[in-house]
Amino acid sequence: MTSPRSILVVGAGLAGARCAETLRAEGFDGELTLVGEEPFAPYERPALSKEFLTGEKSASDLFLRPGSFWNEQRIELVLGQRVASVDVERRTAVTSAGRLIGWDALVLATGARARKLPFDTPEGVHVLRSLADAQALRRELLPGVRLAVVGGGFVGAEVASTARKLGVDVTLLEAGSAPFARALGPELGARLAERYIDHGVDIRTETAAAAFLSLPGGRVKGVQLADGDVVDADVVLVAVGVEPAHELGAEPAPPIYACGDNAGSRGHWTGAAAEAVGVARRILELEPLPEQPPFFWSDQFGLRLQLVGDTTHADEVELEGTHESFIARYRARGGKLVAALASNQPAAMGGLRLEVAAAA
Amino acid sequence: MYRIQIDRSLCSGFGACAEIAPDIIELDASGNATARVGVSDDPAVLDAAAACPMAAILITEEEAA
Repeated sequence: MTSPRSILVVGAGLAGARCAETLRAEGFDGELTLVGEEPFAPYERPALSKEFLTGEKSASDLFLRPGSFWNEQRIELVLGQRVASVDVERRTAVTSAGRLIGWDALVLATGARARKLPFDTPEGVHVLRSLADAQALRRELLPGVRLAVVGGGFVGAEVASTARKLGVDVTLLEAGSAPFARALGPELGARLAERYIDHGVDIRTETAAAAFLSLPGGRVKGVQLADGDVVDADVVLVAVGVEPAHELGAEPAPPIYACGDNAGSRGHWTGAAAEAVGVARRILELEPLPEQPPFFWSDQFGLRLQLVGDTTHADEVELEGTHESFIARYRARGGKLVAALASNQPAAMGGLRLEVAAAA
Repeated sequence: MYRIQIDRSLCSGFGACAEIAPDIIELDASGNATARVGVSDDPAVLDAAAACPMAAILITEEEAA
């Protein structure tokens, strides 16, 4: 392959930004364009459910790089526009504002969108994926307001935690027997559930939302559950996962590449960044970097949870430590260490990462 | 020369950076990455930055003085 003279990166989230800056850092000298649908320079999404909602961080604190960085790196940011179509034969793309951009290599980093529930969503029902979503939710989380969170995953749990800090009444609806029971195991699930209850969260498990109820003016007033019960709510957050954004339809085969939540990385697992670096290196025909085990972290209810590895095939969990500060090791059948979770033990993470990597 | 900046509010304590470039980056007592030096000519800093899952390490190339 002759080296490309122009590269278009579609999607200005972590993966797109990371890919573009790696291309430059590794010596790509041609035209480099980063197109993002949102009107913001690449920003830190994890803070949206935490410091941004509490107001500890403002929008301008979230940017991944200083404002001057993109210019200095000669990375053209095209913001507030989607790439509407791609012509693979002619190697061009057209944005929603009608701009034509040529490319020799195309990187699809379109990310993912928040999943919605398959029924009418009245005013006051939110999702949380983008900065605009977080701005809208932040305006509504006032002391004394009743919030129902549909979905006890990491986004739901983090928003529940933040909302309690803000003096909001929180009900958390979880489909499983305990939050994270499937991802982290029943012991950990029970431990986390206890913690949420201690922090004043009303948890309803093994339940699903069946419909939203609204006031005569159209605003949400509650969530109807599958068993007929009703949870009264002034604000609802739907946090039932994401689905990859594949609208462009282009198949990722060179000179087209893909990274991030639209490609292999699983939702908020930080694989997106590693994939983005991998794609940049493939385009430049550089050796791949050594693989790192998957890593994820979450701050909720006073716990910093850090998980390295993959619990999918874990068969048993070994727990050591106290209720606040503990380590869980996940082993597959036969005893192989497949993942480790540290709670409020950040200094242990480096060693756990090496243990998991060595066992792989 | 490479200028090394670590955004500690982004750092989540993965620790790969300190393993790849131990002379340049270390983990502090709370497990967060800290640069031992402001600039370095060791290209390992590029790999350390690339291994960060949070994009918390920003490396910019500077003209040698």
